[in-house]
Order: sequence, then structure tokens, then C-alpha cells
Amino acid sequence: MSNYQTTVGIEVHCELKTKTKMFSNSINNYGGVANVNISEIDFALPGTLPCINEEGLRLGIKAALALNCTINKKVVFDRKNYFYPDLPKGYQITQARNPIGVNGYVEIEVDGKKKPIRIHDIHLEEDTCKSTHAEKKSYLDFNRSGVPLLEIVTEPDMKSEKEAMAYLEKLRELLLYTNVSDCKMEEGSMRCDVNVSVSQTENLGTRTETKNIGSISSVGRAILAESARQMQEIEQGNIIQEETRRFDEKQNRTILMRVKETGNDYRYFPEPDIPPYDLTEEMMEDVKRKMEVLPEERRKIYRKAGISPVNIEKIIANKPISDYLLGMEDINLVIASNLLLGEISAYLNKTGKMLGDTCLDQEKFKILVTKLDQKEINNQIFKEILVELMETDHDIEKIIDSKKVDTLSSEELIKLIETIVLANPASIEDFQQGKDRAVKFLMGQIMKETKGKANPQEANQILLAVLKKQ
Amino acid sequence: MSKLTKEEVLHVSHLARIGVTEEEIENYQITLKQLLDDVDKIKDIPINHGELLVTPVEHGAILRNDSDSEMIAFEEVKKNIPATVGNFVEVPVMVNE
Amino acid sequence: MNKYLNLSIQEIHELLLEKKITPLDLVKEAYQRIEEKEKLNSFITLNQSEAISYAKQLGEEEVEKENLLWGIPIAIKDNISTKGIRTTCASKMLENYVPIYDATVIEKIKEKKMIIIGKTNMDEFAMGSTSRTSYFGAPKNPMNEAKITGGSSGGSAACVSGGLVPLALGSDTGGSIRQPASYTGIVGMKPTYGRVSRYGLIAFASSLDQIGPMTRTVYENALLLNCLVGKDSKDLTSRDSSIEDFTRLIGKEIKGMKVAIPNYFVSEIVSSEIIEKLHQVVDILRQNEVEVDYIDMQYLDQAVTLYQIIAMGEASSNLARFDGVKFGYRSPKADSVEEMYLNSRSEGFGREVKRRIMVGSYLLSGENAKIYYDKALMIRNAMKQEFDKVFEKYDFVLGPVTTTTAYGLEENLDDSRKSFMDDVLVIPVNMAGLPGLSIPMGKGKDDMPIGLHIIGNKLEEAKMYQLASFLENKIK
Repeated sequence: MSNYQTTVGIEVHCELKTKTKMFSNSINNYGGVANVNISEIDFALPGTLPCINEEGLRLGIKAALALNCTINKKVVFDRKNYFYPDLPKGYQITQARNPIGVNGYVEIEVDGKKKPIRIHDIHLEEDTCKSTHAEKKSYLDFNRSGVPLLEIVTEPDMKSEKEAMAYLEKLRELLLYTNVSDCKMEEGSMRCDVNVSVSQTENLGTRTETKNIGSISSVGRAILAESARQMQEIEQGNIIQEETRRFDEKQNRTILMRVKETGNDYRYFPEPDIPPYDLTEEMMEDVKRKMEVLPEERRKIYRKAGISPVNIEKIIANKPISDYLLGMEDINLVIASNLLLGEISAYLNKTGKMLGDTCLDQEKFKILVTKLDQKEINNQIFKEILVELMETDHDIEKIIDSKKVDTLSSEELIKLIETIVLANPASIEDFQQGKDRAVKFLMGQIMKETKGKANPQEANQILLAVLKKQ
Repeated sequence: MSKLTKEEVLHVSHLARIGVTEEEIENYQITLKQLLDDVDKIKDIPINHGELLVTPVEHGAILRNDSDSEMIAFEEVKKNIPATVGNFVEVPVMVNE
Repeated sequence: MNKYLNLSIQEIHELLLEKKITPLDLVKEAYQRIEEKEKLNSFITLNQSEAISYAKQLGEEEVEKENLLWGIPIAIKDNISTKGIRTTCASKMLENYVPIYDATVIEKIKEKKMIIIGKTNMDEFAMGSTSRTSYFGAPKNPMNEAKITGGSSGGSAACVSGGLVPLALGSDTGGSIRQPASYTGIVGMKPTYGRVSRYGLIAFASSLDQIGPMTRTVYENALLLNCLVGKDSKDLTSRDSSIEDFTRLIGKEIKGMKVAIPNYFVSEIVSSEIIEKLHQVVDILRQNEVEVDYIDMQYLDQAVTLYQIIAMGEASSNLARFDGVKFGYRSPKADSVEEMYLNSRSEGFGREVKRRIMVGSYLLSGENAKIYYDKALMIRNAMKQEFDKVFEKYDFVLGPVTTTTAYGLEENLDDSRKSFMDDVLVIPVNMAGLPGLSIPMGKGKDDMPIGLHIIGNKLEEAKMYQLASFLENKIK
């Protein structure tokens, strides 16, 4: 079995992070008690009509920009008609004719080689009900009905499972960083259908679609398994059929769900309940202005600051940290990232806190990093004051000052005491004459000099030793 | 007289989820074909591009603010649902998944 | 028996103000009349106990001086969602469906403190032109009970024409307000598409449907329309038109107005006695210095074809939600999902509804959507532009509403094409989203009413009432 080229195209559905649903105004939240976040519209009650959630539209535009798409300024919707109990209206409102974004790309890197994966289109639509199944009955929860969805469709540009996985990682990263979706595959807020074909010639082979794969690594395994199956079929002289399959994680193979009817007959037609919406320049500008700094841009900043490639990826993988570092280009980012990835992450892990829950705001953090950078404090001090920084709103300067004196070394104390003793010959004399008041007086001077922070016992011992040497 | 095939009628019946008896199939084979011949005449009208008038309004859609939400209680909706179990709508088991 | 309901709304309002009558008198009289004329079968559901207790409650309140509609009984077509009042669409599918929300127009009617008497009979899901497709049997024409009322708003037309209630709401997708108004001799307005919110109107064909008033007189029609219109954030197709008083031009001079009559509207498809009546109207207009021209308009003859494609296509999709899952009828034979779908829909829908869903599904399936649907939408656009051109020169387009007077209840029972041809003159108005008004213009040899169709430019309902009111007085 040689000379087979695997070709992969991917369709991703991700749920948008809006407060309410796409075409109704009930809350976008499911997974809890069934049928509580519902409206007349979600149940498709007779006579109800859709409305459009502005935020859903904005997130669609943002995603289109992040994926380098051309944006269709005339926003229109279509109806995709099919019957299934989880589809309340008997049609899904989607964008078949004029998707919000077309002709985009995502750049991936595999084995050091960069490659663009073309995006055919991205379009806005709505999610279906969640169903659970018993032996003879199924149960519908409409909380998910109408949740805003973005479908992202690639061209068949991926030639291996590695490229497919790299694409998905990249896509996920972009959608997370633009706050478009939380992309939790395990919870279903990001879902993945993979079209796989194999061929020994220039022409693409017949593709199959493997639906709803549960994780990015499973996508890789599913592609390997499916392309192997197809090669074997061809070797055995069989023909690959256009069909829908699913991936069985345990058996590590794809399983036939259904043979595709000749072209699904979805009877698409323009949604008459929603007149076209013309995107204004104002809105486009506003979306652009509020666009988050994309991960590639952030990588550039980190590289320029001299952060190691390993740490750069660690930061990117930890969005709260990367967000925390935004606007900190003027401080030493190497130190900053070391603190965040090291001691601070360890503290957060231990306490189960989020960075935002602590008292270490960005201003404080910048002062801290600057002081470390200028060697005003050392790593030892940082470790000692970490908890105080995290848990109190004490002034950072004060915290540091107190630690400076506290950690006055014995040598420093000896030196200070020697200076004080030598500056008071009268007291040396008194001491030598056995007068107690000399020690008392000198101790007072020491305490004054150290602002009372010296350990009296230690200071007393040192003082006596110094006096005795005179 | 030309007519649709039985398979074509059954395909439409399946799309529409409207059951048809043998008699109705025969009837649709003829009437749907008649209808098609009828509407086929619009092909002769020399308009082959131009705007599709989807809805006869000139204004665009207005957008809804994401922060406003309004919900209804399942207890209310439930009154009209043919079968429920607890907080769920019950249907025969879905096998297509 | 009292005869308050024979009085005009203004006269009733005076009596209410003078405390000579109460809303309860009106409501009781309405139910009495409904009972007497039960065989008209104009109502599917009566709201009797609620209406009576609401009328009593209103009786305790102060009459709103400026609100002529205060305490007036009204009937509502049974495809408009009324909270707590069964809404069947004249279908077995929704035989036991009780909505949990009010349509926007119902909210408006309640704001005006009108009293909902009941839900009127109609063609099942508004699909038909005779009201005979109703699961609850056909309503009868008060002018001659052996005749059809027309449809689909046949029950609303019958109850106004029969004097059971002074006001009713209908809906018009391809003539369903104007055509029964014409057959029963009342006034029916299909407003400009988007004037009245469709939220809560159980959709037949979304881009054609519009709710409108059905009344005894032009003035009362305008008065009722006043309270129905306005932008609704729940209906994206509703228009942001400023609030206006549609009665304001009534009684004003019509001299100098220009009227066009498309030759197609007086062609051989229309019976000669109706054309004759139209010519009499033309004479009256010309005598009053209104310019009347007969013109050629393109595409009017395509309206029925476009209607079959667009209305059936949209309907096949709009009615997909009636699947036995979350409301309405679920067949007891529902052991699998497919069985549930097929049996619920086959048993729940009547023959005509099923036929139209089949037609719509067929015309949208496979390549048909591109070949026919898109083309139909292009011609629809051309038809609208054709009207736009006419309205650059003319104030109105006039014609008859129907090609014949109301026919017998037993006639043309199996001719579904006839059903569309009944609406051939009124469908273009829905295609172009224009306002269309039907007013009586006399009677035919069979003593059945004949309707005049006044088509106005978009949002020019007030001007239409001006002309209509003038003719209303002259034709009497």
C-alpha cells in the first residue's frame, strides 16, 4: 500500500460566547436543569419569529477577521429544511448563500514548515436541542436550542493527520483568543467533522465524513484509521462510497453510520422572516478596534523580548497569563514570564485561585518585575513576599522595604555596630570602666539607625563583642 | 400523459413527512407534473438576473441587544406538549445519531 | 332584543359615554346574535365567560373619551395567537392548542380595551379561498347561506357581514381578507406589508402574510387599523412608520386624483356584470374629476404561478414545526420518530394543507429551488417595480376583487386550481407588499355582493380610505 495521498477537509462548529441566543432572547447556557433557558421562539411556538442577536453577529465578524476572510457586508440568512426531533422549527436558520466570511486562511506549522489552510467559508447558524436516549424513548432539552453557532469549513488542504491537528489547534487558539468561543470539545462547544479521502493520482478520491469527533488527538487517530481503511478497501478492489461515519475511540476505527443520499435535499431558500442587514462601516471599525491581540502577534512580542520558545508556547497555552502580560512591553518580559510561569503559577495551583482573584494587580506586578530587573530585590525576597503580595493590598514598596531591613545580614549589622561604637569613644570608656549606661546608650543608637528592626538579642551580642575588642 | 415516477412522489412525501396512499401517489404523479408544467412557463419570461425579492420591505433588519433576556417557564409550555417526562420533552427514540 | 350593534362605532361610543349602555350590553348582544345565527358557523371558539367578566370589569371603569374602540366587541381570526384562548388554525393539528402568549396585535387590542368575543372560522392554516378546508366545517355567507363566504378569513367576514360583531381581524396572504370581504359585502384592508406586526400570526407564507381589519364601513376600518400598526422589535419585517390617523383624509376632496385600471383586471377572466359595475365606478370617478386610464401592466398574469411557488414553498417550511413533538397533535401510532412524523402530519393536517405542503416541498427540492424559486423571486421583483412605475403617475390602481360573485358551497369542490384562480386579481398586491382594500360596489344578478379593489402605493392607506369613503357614499 504505497503512494496513497490522504486529503482532509474539516468542518468545525463552535458555540459563540454570547449572553443570549442567536435568534431569541433566552439565556445561552445549557448543561444544567433541562428546559429552563427557553423562550417561545426556542420552542418554535406557532406565530413566533426570529430576532438577531447583535453580539452573535459581531463575534461572527470577529472570527471572520481573525481567519483572514473576506466579509460579506450584506448579512442574510437562509433556511435549511429537514425533520429531526431536536430541530424545533423543522428548519435551521443558517447562511447558505452568503456566509458572513469567505476565502480565508489559517497558517499552520508542521515539522518546521509553514502552510496556509484555506477557509472556504464561515457562517452563522443556530444549535439544536440536546437529546438523551433511553431504549425506546429520547428526551429533549431545549436549553441548547438556538444557541449561536459558527460553522467553519476548510478547503481539502490538509494532507496528513498532523496537519489536521495543527489546523485545529491553531483554529482553537484563534477562537479562544478572540473570545469568540470557549472551544471546549469535551463539553461540545466545539465539534468537529472530518472529510477524508485517499488517492493515488492527482484527483481527489471519494470522501467520507466522520462526524463529531471528541478531541483533537482523536481527530488525528480517526484520520489515520479512516485513511488506512480506505486504502485497504481500494487495495481489495472495493469502491469508496460517500458516507457518514463515526469514530469509535476504544476500537480505534471508524464505523459506518449511514450512506449519504444523493445530495442531501435540504430545500434551502432565503429566510423571509429576516430582511438583509447591511453591515455599517461603523460596526466594522468598532469590531476591528475592539479586536484582541491575536496569538501570532503575541508570539512576536514574546520572541522580541527574548522569551524562550518553550516558554512562549507555555504562555500562549495559558491565556489568562498571556492576557495579563498585555501592555507590559515596557518591562522585562523574560523576568515577568518566569515569575508567572514559575512561582506565581505554583501559588495559583496550590490555592486553586485564578490570577484575577489575587491582589497582585498588573501595576504592582510591573513594579515587582522592575525591582527584580534592577536588582533592588533578589529572588529570595520575591519568594518571601509572594504570599503577602497575593493576599493583601499592602503597598508593594512597603512590603519590600520591610523585607530589606528584616533581612539585614549579620555582617551588615556588625559593620553598622562597629561604626556606631567607633563614633562614640566616650561610651567605650564608660564600658571599660564598667558603666552599664554605655551599652544602653549604644543599643539605643543601633535601634535608631536600623529603625528598630534589628534583632535586639543579636545586636546586643554583637555590640558586646565589638566593645570587648576595643 | 407524462407524469412523475412513483419514486419521485415518494421522495417528496418523505421530504414533507406527509404520508401518501397508493391512490394519492397516483394522483400526485399526475398533479405534481401538471403543476410543474404550469410553473415551467415562467422560464419563458425574459428575466434571468436581478434582485431576488425575498421580502417586500425596503428596510434592513434591526439587531437585538445581547444583554436583554426574557424566558418562559417549562410548566407553561408543558401544557401543549404531547408527552413529557420530568423537565423533558419525550419522543420515540431517535435512531439516526 | 337590543340593536346597539347595528349602530356605528361613534354612536355606540356616545351611548357608552352617556352611560346609557355598558360594554356588557354589547357583549351580551353579540353572543345573542351569534347564538341566533349559529348556522353561519363563523366561530370556532367563543370566549364567552372571559368576555363577559371583562365587560363587567370595564363597566366599573371610566369610559376613555378619546378611545372610540373602548369596550367594542371584536372577533379574531383563529390563526392569531391569543393567550389562554384556544387557537386552532381550523386544523385538527391544533384542535387542543391553547397559546401561552398574545400576538402583538392582540396586545394592542387589549390596550385599547376592546373585548375579544371569539376566534373565527377559516380555511385550515389559511390555505384556501372558500373557508371550506376548515376542520370545523365551512362558514356560510350571511348574504345567502347556500354560498361560500370566501376565504381564508371567511369566519371573520361572515360575523361582520352578519352583524354578529362590528369588527374583526383577518389575515391576507393572497387575498384572504379582501376576497371574503368582497363576497360578503364588507370592507377589508390588507395593509402595506410590514405595517402590522406578524408576531403571533401563525405563518402560512411569511413574505406575503399580513393582518388587517374587516369592518362594516370604511371609517371603522381606518379606526381599527389605527390601533394595529407600528414597529415591533419581535418582527424584523415590521416597518418603522410613524403613527398616523388613518381616518384623517376621510371626507376630503378627491378631485384631481389619478387612477389606473390594468387591462388584465377587466379582461375576459372577469365576469361581465362585475366589469360593468367597475365601469359604473369609473363613471362616478370621472364625474368627480378623477382621471381614469386603462393601462397595460406586465406580469399580472404570472401572479398565480408565483404564488404557487413562493407561498407553497414558504408554507412547506413554516408548517414543518407541526411535527407532533412539542405542541399540537401527536398520532397514537408513534413508535418511531418517522412513524410519529408521518402519522401525526397525515392525520393532523387536512387534504388541502397536505397537498400544498407536498407542492411546496416539491418545488424547493433538488434543482427546483434554483430553477423555479429563484426565478419566481426575480419576477416578483419585476412585478413590484412594475407597480412602482405605475405609482409614479397614478394615485391608485383599481380593479374588481374577484372574477365572480360568491358561488355555492357545493360548487368547485375538487378543483384546487380554481381556488388559486379565485384570487388571481388580489395576489399581485401581496407579491408587491402593497396595501389593498376591498369595498362593496353593488350586487350581481344573484343579489350577491361585488367588491371594488383599491390598490394604493405602499404606506398610503389613509389616501385609500379617502377614496373608498367617497365611493362608499356615492355607491349607496
